[in-house]
Amino acid sequence: MPDILQVHNVVKYYGRGNIVTKALDSISFCVDQGEFTAIMGASGSGKSTLLNVISTIDRVSSGEICVEGQRIAEMKEKQLSLFRRDKLGFIFQEYNLLDTLTIRENIALPLNLKRVDVQTTQREVMRVSTALGISEQLDKFPYELSGGERQRAACARAIVARPALVLADEPTGALDSRNSRVLMKTFQQMNRQLDSTILMVTHDPVVGSYASRVLFLKDGRIWSEIDSGGRDRQTMYQEILTVMAALGGETGVR
Amino acid sequence: MFAKLALRNVKRQIGNYLIYFITVSLTVALMFAINNVIFSPQLQEYAVNIPELRNGLLTLTVLLSLIVALVLGYATSFMLKLRKREFGTYLTLGMTRKNILCLFILESLILAVASLLVGIVLGAFVYQGLMALLSRLMEFAFVFSSYSVSGLLITIALIILVFMLASLTSAFYLQRVRIYQLIHGDKKVESGARHPLLWLIVTIISLCMIVLCCLVFYKEVEATILSYGEASEGLMFLSLLALAMAVVVFHIALSRSVVSLLLKNKKFTNRGCNTFTLRQLSGRMNANSLLAGALSFLLSFAVIGSNISFVQKVSDQASLEKSYPFDISANLDVDTDIAIDFPEAKQIISEYTHIEREFYYDIYTTRQSYLYGFTPWSGEGYNGLWDFFISESDFNLLNQALGWDTVDLHGRFLILTDMQQMMNMDFSTAELNVGGRSYAYGGTSTDMPLNTYTYFVAVVPDEAVQHMHVQLHGVAFDLQENGYDAQNLRKDLSYTYSSPSGFRFENTDYQIKEYARLSRNSNSAVFVLGALYLSVVFVFMSMAILALKTLSSLSEDKPRYNILFRLGATEREQSKTLFWQSFAFFFLPFALPMLLSIPSGIICSHIMQLNGFTPQSGEVAWIAVWIAVVISMIYLLYFTATYRIARRNVIYS
Repeated sequence: MPDILQVHNVVKYYGRGNIVTKALDSISFCVDQGEFTAIMGASGSGKSTLLNVISTIDRVSSGEICVEGQRIAEMKEKQLSLFRRDKLGFIFQEYNLLDTLTIRENIALPLNLKRVDVQTTQREVMRVSTALGISEQLDKFPYELSGGERQRAACARAIVARPALVLADEPTGALDSRNSRVLMKTFQQMNRQLDSTILMVTHDPVVGSYASRVLFLKDGRIWSEIDSGGRDRQTMYQEILTVMAALGGETGVR
Repeated sequence: MFAKLALRNVKRQIGNYLIYFITVSLTVALMFAINNVIFSPQLQEYAVNIPELRNGLLTLTVLLSLIVALVLGYATSFMLKLRKREFGTYLTLGMTRKNILCLFILESLILAVASLLVGIVLGAFVYQGLMALLSRLMEFAFVFSSYSVSGLLITIALIILVFMLASLTSAFYLQRVRIYQLIHGDKKVESGARHPLLWLIVTIISLCMIVLCCLVFYKEVEATILSYGEASEGLMFLSLLALAMAVVVFHIALSRSVVSLLLKNKKFTNRGCNTFTLRQLSGRMNANSLLAGALSFLLSFAVIGSNISFVQKVSDQASLEKSYPFDISANLDVDTDIAIDFPEAKQIISEYTHIEREFYYDIYTTRQSYLYGFTPWSGEGYNGLWDFFISESDFNLLNQALGWDTVDLHGRFLILTDMQQMMNMDFSTAELNVGGRSYAYGGTSTDMPLNTYTYFVAVVPDEAVQHMHVQLHGVAFDLQENGYDAQNLRKDLSYTYSSPSGFRFENTDYQIKEYARLSRNSNSAVFVLGALYLSVVFVFMSMAILALKTLSSLSEDKPRYNILFRLGATEREQSKTLFWQSFAFFFLPFALPMLLSIPSGIICSHIMQLNGFTPQSGEVAWIAVWIAVVISMIYLLYFTATYRIARRNVIYS
């Protein structure tokens, strides 16, 4: 499998003068095409910072990030916008659906930005919404849906334009445990059936156990890594708990 | 403690409060300036003799107060909206509603006092500018105009009153609003319009009504002028009323139809951020449709009012030349006692300025109304209107004096009038029989070298007047220069007239061109200044409200544009989206009033033509264009400023 994402020696500093924080400390890893990777770690470990620099919302201090062979550090503002549009899909904790748009319009927006023709747009919107079980909700506004439905709509929007990489930042953060499970199954479905490559940040071991690989961050460094290697989810969950205990971080069990 | 907290809050939120501060300061400045103009000694002296003017000024103040109340009320509600979430948080932290109200009122008070002070300073300059304009229009020497205590007190009283009203409304709101609404109120999405097709039909009907009203008004103005002001003006006012209503309804219907219909166009919505732009506009325009209607009405008023005021000015200047061909003229009736005869008048005039030339002529009558029989002014109600005549030689004498062409009647008679409408009257069958000879109709002319209080005078060959009675002795003076004291000359040429009913008033038989010019200038100055001022206030108010509306929704727009950014919309695409979103909102109430400049210009130009001022009709049309351009420029400037602030806050923040 070719590498979709290559992170090489990435360093990120915050602050100026004497007060400087090293949020990311020489981080390197790769994500293969079709892989479902989770990044876990305690608060302040640098997982959100890592997601921000990969998603081009923030710049690295040094190091290199390549998505499908494209070096994002060298890109200008306009190129970054086009890169985000063409290569990345986003899922956020707060759904970030546009409240003024219907679910259909929300899902179609990335395709509209790419100037995809009407027929293809409608076909693709139906494809992903049917796959994620929200085809009945397309003409509703976000406020008319439940939290779980909203997050699935956000997933549909993230994958509709067939991005190279889907980035999810604490996607279950605003959901209850039942909806979190449904969403994680959706992620697995996206990963297996729709061949989406997913990089997810979470602090929840249950959520992390759905991923095929988990990277653990501590103090801005990769501290440990687990690969499911075809094992069941329960085993993966137990391993995550063990690593987290060793990390000395949160072990919230649902 | 609250004062300290309020002061700190104002300092901290200075960026957000800036637009409120500017709006209130400018409103105070405009209010203070016009109140000072109204109470200025120059205008008060002028208004003493004209009750209509005093009533007009009073109406202007009341109208302005209402506008100020509306703008300031709007600005306060903008401030409240801006702070809703913060106040909600205060409540959850245990502050009482009374505490929050105190805090809000204190903050508003600090800003109101600061705006009042800045506004008064600014208004002091605006007032001098207005007085300079007024002095130029009324032709009195501009000196530094003193400020009126009444003007200042009225301005302060009004601002305090409006502030108290706004505070009461805010108090009422804060007392009743639920904490949830304060904290999560922003999340509520304004819904789009329902039944867009129905509203589209209403849009088309109201547009047809606007065109129809303009046509009816055009025809009615024409009919009124051609019927010499005697036609019913009911339909004319009805068409204006219908126009005003149609303008408001058109904007309400357009706001509720166009965006919803565009959203149904898949091809259009599928391109870039079009869906986003339309959805942003949909709810906003639906929620503000009535406001758009009201603003477009005010802007239409500004456009039409400015046009009419300038037409009045141009028409006054043009009619002066026509009504007063000589510097001073008089027609003394032989049947009445003459208060000041020609030699005495000449002597009085000579005390003021040198008489360069003088011409004497006579106006005759047959004591019959034969020629009036060919006009609408005959029959019942017009008894006693006698035909008046001037001899060919006297007429040519006056023509020569003015450098005009002389006429050769060839045994015919000529109708002479200063009413353009008389050109359409048919005298072709008229045959004048005087002294055993008959004279056929030889045409109608509006080049009238004399000023009489009659609808027309007939020019006849010299031998015809031998058989008529002299009714008026006329004189026309040409003066060496016009820079004399026309007001006092008129006083000296006046006498006290006692009517049979015992009513006494100052009267003069001498028509002084310079006095008429100054008098008309004063009238049109007040009219022009009043109309222009109202127009400026209306344009400013519309812009301020639109800007406040746009800027107050920035906090809601910011996260939405942030999502667009994350989805890969380029900076250019985001700017373009924000531009169209703001532009459509600004442009909606503005487009139709600007388009109304076209019928306004055409109608004003036509009025000038119908009144015989054809050369000036082009000038009036150009004025309409200039007014549209100036208002558009001001509008564009305000829009650009608002858009740039919005872009900086939403996209570049």
